[in-house]
Amino acid sequence: MLAPASRSSVWFCMNEPFRILDHPADLGVEANGSTLAEAFQHAAKGLMTVILDLDSVACREAREVVLRASDREQLLVKWLSEILYLYDGGGFVGKEFTITQLSDTALQAQVHGERFDAAKHRTRLDVKAITYHQLAVTLHKQGATVRVYLDM
Amino acid sequence: MLKKLDSFRYLIPISYKKGMRIEGLIYADDELIQQIEKDQTKEQVANVATLPGLVGRSLAMPDAHQGYGFCIGGVAAADLQEGVVSAGGVGFDINCGVRLLASPLEEKDMQGKIEPLLNQLFRDIPCGTGRKGLLDVTKNELDNVLREGAQWAVAHGYGHDEDLARIEEYGTIPDADPALVSSKAKDRGHHQLGTLGSGNHFLEIQRVAVVYDEDVAHRFGVHKGQIVVLIHSGSRGLGHQVCTDYLDIMYEGMKKYGISVVDRQLACVPIQSEEGQNYVKAMAAAANFAFCNRQMMTHWVREAFERVVGTRDVRIVYDVCHNIAKREEHEVDGSRRTVLVHRKGATRALPKGHPLLPRELQDVGQPVLIPGSMGTASYILVGTEQAMKETFGSSCHGAGRAKSRTQAKKETTAEQLLRDLKSKGIFVRGETKSGLTEEKPDAYKDVSRVVDVVHGAGIARKVAKLVPLAVMKG
Repeated sequence: MLAPASRSSVWFCMNEPFRILDHPADLGVEANGSTLAEAFQHAAKGLMTVILDLDSVACREAREVVLRASDREQLLVKWLSEILYLYDGGGFVGKEFTITQLSDTALQAQVHGERFDAAKHRTRLDVKAITYHQLAVTLHKQGATVRVYLDM
Repeated sequence: MLKKLDSFRYLIPISYKKGMRIEGLIYADDELIQQIEKDQTKEQVANVATLPGLVGRSLAMPDAHQGYGFCIGGVAAADLQEGVVSAGGVGFDINCGVRLLASPLEEKDMQGKIEPLLNQLFRDIPCGTGRKGLLDVTKNELDNVLREGAQWAVAHGYGHDEDLARIEEYGTIPDADPALVSSKAKDRGHHQLGTLGSGNHFLEIQRVAVVYDEDVAHRFGVHKGQIVVLIHSGSRGLGHQVCTDYLDIMYEGMKKYGISVVDRQLACVPIQSEEGQNYVKAMAAAANFAFCNRQMMTHWVREAFERVVGTRDVRIVYDVCHNIAKREEHEVDGSRRTVLVHRKGATRALPKGHPLLPRELQDVGQPVLIPGSMGTASYILVGTEQAMKETFGSSCHGAGRAKSRTQAKKETTAEQLLRDLKSKGIFVRGETKSGLTEEKPDAYKDVSRVVDVVHGAGIARKVAKLVPLAVMKG
């Protein structure tokens, strides 16, 4: 299950467009995308990968997410908090994420996945919450990079 | 620069960082301070000292490590009229805490029964991510849980009235208002009541290995060789969501009240503001959920003991909160003041004679429960007058992480860890391998050293040392 540790901060996700970051007590997710929307999508996938093995999850249902926030940073925290809520509050495991509308203060998305099944899904770690610690949303020539730390 | 005051205290002067309004103080010995200086703990203690209306010092216990906004192991008291409350100063896992249960049995009574007992507990108490509780309460009933805490559990057959006196706040923080807890938080909580959780949460069957203070141990109902059970759990998704919700509310509120902070995770509002009062009432509701949670697990521990070893006479030694903000009376600069004490990864440690203690603990003091890392020792201490003078009646809460999760994973496989624990005679049941390796014993500081600093500084006194016989991890 463990990926070869060629980069110290990477585990179980070598070929993914996100990486898991080290923190003295917890974990972070850094995700890239050719657009900000794609980086947000990849961050969501990174979050769910920390919680369980997404290879054990199928896309059978969809959920709609509509959010507002006061800035981009808060929007990222709210987006990931919503994905966590769908799982922890609604028993729905998101696997594929499609952001259909995104501005600095609003987001609309489709989340595809299925209902949590303890017998089928291979769980990993409990994520308690999404934090504002060293939160970063950066736009650059290649697209966008977002970084967020998770309370475990 | 840190200024060493004595063998156990390091001062962060106000001049250390622009904006500090009070001094910082870190409790550590020469070795622990080196570990603490490796991460952002010192900066976070200094950052907390910039918040408005704090009194005394911004404190870090010897188990301190980098957290979010506040360090883990941080204590800060705010004047009730002038000060602020910070959701990040309590943390995501509101009333994460520890409960110690004492059985009438000794190790010799448990020959061949430790593993069956562990297996029974593993069957009876849901743990790990995504697992539902055995009881799915309705939303209406959940409101009663949030109002009544452990009292709700006892009223519904999960324990006895006598249990309540052995829980901080008698298992119910007053002022809890379920209406101020979001429906999202309730969605996350209603099916998680009576679940252990994951991460660093655990349940251990332990043996009392050493007694340092016979009189106090006797008064706590603890003796050498006794079998005890330690439960470490919190308010589950409900508490995490309350913190998430109020971080945003406080962030918006700061603009309204003209407050700026150096780290967004320190978002805070005046205690007396509408947002501040709402948070305190929502936090109390989440704390009550955690008290109820640990009370229900206590009931299942009793049932497991009855089934496996034929007795359900398992008493609560005490139950303490680790992540909480409490309205308390303290002596500040020579006068009596009401303050809101934020304890984030810190334990209340009241001395004998304190009015908040139940009658039977009045002449001995509060049990202070310090869990070690998986497979190492845990400790029982007792609160002291010195803690009232220096730390707003607070002490450390555990070993404190020393290695990151990634580092821990790289160093050990789950199989090797299980072999190591087995070679020490410790049985382990865990829901996931990831969860196990990340919590390996040496991912944490040496709990004995942490406790020795607390004891040496006089902010709690050692009573007994507990060693694990079996561990259940989420």
